[in-house]
Amino acid sequence: MAELLLDPNIRGWVFLPIVVITFLVGIIRHYVSILLSSQKKVELHQVQDSQVMIRSRLLRENGQYIPKTAFLSRRHFFNNEETGYFKTQRRAPVSQNPVTDPAMMTDMLKGNVTNVLPMVLIGGWINWMFSGFVTTKVPFPLTLRFKPMLQRGIELVTLDAAWVSSASWYFLNVFGLRSIYTLVLGENNAADTSRHLQDQVSGAAMSMPPNPKAAFKSEWEALEICEHNWALNGVDDDLLGLRNTSDSIENMYYQSKSGL
Amino acid sequence: MSGKMRAKQDKLDDIIAYSEVAVRNNAAVVEYCRISMAALSGGTAGLLGLTGFYGFGFYIFAILSLWGMLLMKAGGQWKKYFISRRSLLTNGFFGGLFTYVLFWTFLYGMVHVY
Repeated sequence: MAELLLDPNIRGWVFLPIVVITFLVGIIRHYVSILLSSQKKVELHQVQDSQVMIRSRLLRENGQYIPKTAFLSRRHFFNNEETGYFKTQRRAPVSQNPVTDPAMMTDMLKGNVTNVLPMVLIGGWINWMFSGFVTTKVPFPLTLRFKPMLQRGIELVTLDAAWVSSASWYFLNVFGLRSIYTLVLGENNAADTSRHLQDQVSGAAMSMPPNPKAAFKSEWEALEICEHNWALNGVDDDLLGLRNTSDSIENMYYQSKSGL
Repeated sequence: MSGKMRAKQDKLDDIIAYSEVAVRNNAAVVEYCRISMAALSGGTAGLLGLTGFYGFGFYIFAILSLWGMLLMKAGGQWKKYFISRRSLLTNGFFGGLFTYVLFWTFLYGMVHVY
């Protein structure tokens, strides 16, 4: 492997600036998206729908901690054939066409402005500004297939594939710094684009199901097959210490299964 | 390590109640540890000038040692803090790997290339 001697000026003016630029752009993106984020305006019945969904989910998850009669009466409220909430509520499907809805348009635009645009813009700018430098060498061997991808703008046939250009160093930074943002900006920051999806899945209270009817139907099914397993059997005896010898306070909260 | 009591176990029925908030908090703390570990071990590997498979082996070693340290810190009662030992080891492997490679390449470049 032929060793290359790189000018230390490349380190000072290309290598380090790319790291700094990538990092600071991520920070700026975080704060700009906070700045641009607007409180979503929601209809009253949408909030109601989402809260009902949350209540139903909680009942499914934690139903075993309430007595069976309480569980059944709650389920009755949701699922009864004639009077159940999921059966009686008839919601027209909310039109989710983003083109016709100006608020959705604005949101999408903001999402693009804060996520896609900087990525493309900074990437293109770095590609243009620092083009043609052999920036660094990755400390692991790469096959020749990576050469056109990682050494764009350097067209040297005999150069080892481990030497990379500035654009690929930038992309390495983008991927690697993603988790550093978690460290710096805290959990669920806006700089980390991969977390956005999880946010939507976990479901804040304000987010409404796009189609209430289908959501109600699936929730109704899930609740219908949910069985009640009374989890607190004999908990009163436990609490009074009638059943087992719990000599320390801790044992009241934690009783090891295998006696660890 | 959060000192929160997470698991409450019923001896008779073997039903475990998890506190959702505490589970998430513990996961976040472990995530912090993992990112820091990836960054630090990547820096170390770069400084040492490890290349090729030695570097990736060092990452595996770092992950394993972090796992060992977490379990040591949790003591014999790791079930109190984490649901499963194996997911503690394997979660976030590739996210950490990217960070590791970044720091590895960065310090390797700074020290050994220039």
